[in-house]
Amino acid sequence: MQMVKKIFITLFIAWFALLVFMPKQALYYKLEEELAKNEIKINEKAIEEGVFSLTLKQASVYVKGIKIATIEELTLFTLLFYTKVELDSLLLDDSLKAMAPQQTDKAVLSHSMLSPLEASVNAEGSFGVIEGSIDLKERNLHINFSETKEIETIRSLLKKDEKGWYYETSF
Amino acid sequence: MKHLFKPQMFKGLLALLILLLIIKLLWFVVEVVWLPSTGVEHAEEKGGKALYYRVKLTPNEAPAPTKPTSTRPTKPQGSIKDIELLAIYNASDITVITVSYKNKTKVLSKGDEINGFVLEGAGSNFATFSKNAKTYQISLLKSKKGDNSVSTTKSTASGTPSETRSSSSKVEGDIVDAGDHRLVDKSLVEHYAKNMEEITKNIGIAEQKEGKDLKGFRVTFVRKNSHFSKLGLRRGDVIKSINGQEITSYNAAMDVYKNINAMDSLSLTITRGKEEMELEYEIN
Repeated sequence: MQMVKKIFITLFIAWFALLVFMPKQALYYKLEEELAKNEIKINEKAIEEGVFSLTLKQASVYVKGIKIATIEELTLFTLLFYTKVELDSLLLDDSLKAMAPQQTDKAVLSHSMLSPLEASVNAEGSFGVIEGSIDLKERNLHINFSETKEIETIRSLLKKDEKGWYYETSF
Repeated sequence: MKHLFKPQMFKGLLALLILLLIIKLLWFVVEVVWLPSTGVEHAEEKGGKALYYRVKLTPNEAPAPTKPTSTRPTKPQGSIKDIELLAIYNASDITVITVSYKNKTKVLSKGDEINGFVLEGAGSNFATFSKNAKTYQISLLKSKKGDNSVSTTKSTASGTPSETRSSSSKVEGDIVDAGDHRLVDKSLVEHYAKNMEEITKNIGIAEQKEGKDLKGFRVTFVRKNSHFSKLGLRRGDVIKSINGQEITSYNAAMDVYKNINAMDSLSLTITRGKEEMELEYEIN
């Protein structure tokens, strides 16, 4: 019993040390490099490292050189078995307001080892409230609108069933 | 002799420190060997844009006007006021209008002259004349409701009526061929600037690359009888620059889209096959 306890304590300390000593900023730079290969770039005003997280302040997102959005705060949080990306106050660029809702107050993308082939998405903004899931095996995204507000710009992309509006796409 | 620390506890602490050191060392190696030390930043294009002027170098043409508004065909001048536009028949191959001049009704086709004014073209609700290198535009008289729609519907008989009828009813204004350049109604520009989805329905644009470098944008299709078909663009054309600004990035293209409402003229440099061409537009 003592031995099992020791192993658990060692594993816990190893896991904790892995997260604490993780070079989060350098790993984020690696992520930026990978995104840049797909012509996606993020310019941030500041990067803050936490024990389990990394926060980007006032991040501007560029796709193919075009400014798409500004995110007030973007937090990448991981416990290794649970990972979460949180976006606070995402504002779509003015030039794109005719194509999609401009304001997203909060968006959360999370992934858990309990269901490794699925990630969940939750967001609320000027479009209303959405809840959805990403099937990583089937490579498709399904988003349900539990509350709708300004969806005129994206209505043509949405479908409707008895539960309400939903969006579905594969990648 | 009594020990201050239990040797077992000391051993455990040492093992813990070694474990932490190994993990720290492991991350250090990963960081040094695989991870970059700086991020990838998007560099904003800060270089000043080339000033764009449309200069006509053709002989026997009037010099560049001191006031840019003077060349605009919006303000009818002189005796153009005597001409009243009664009806328009505007098909892809022929433009015929009916005008009233000195209480007499006359039918004119493209190139015909009345009171010294030569008919250059017509839109859905206006006709364009030229006189002494100046362009004049007169609007359709709204005497009877439905007159205009009848003439427009007629014009689409050879094409797909439903498509064109819907576009002409939703969007006011048209594109008129005025010889060396085309006249584009501002309301049309404003409409498409607001409804980007409608642009993609009517014209297909794909990137044209040479290796990794973007060299322009290729027209993949132009919907028949759409406003875009009147722009003079054809499938296979490669748009190289707009108003002298090379379109070698999405950002450059987006810049044009963002500022299109403020523009009163537009010049597209395109390559069609091996030939380089310039398409000129006047927005008013």
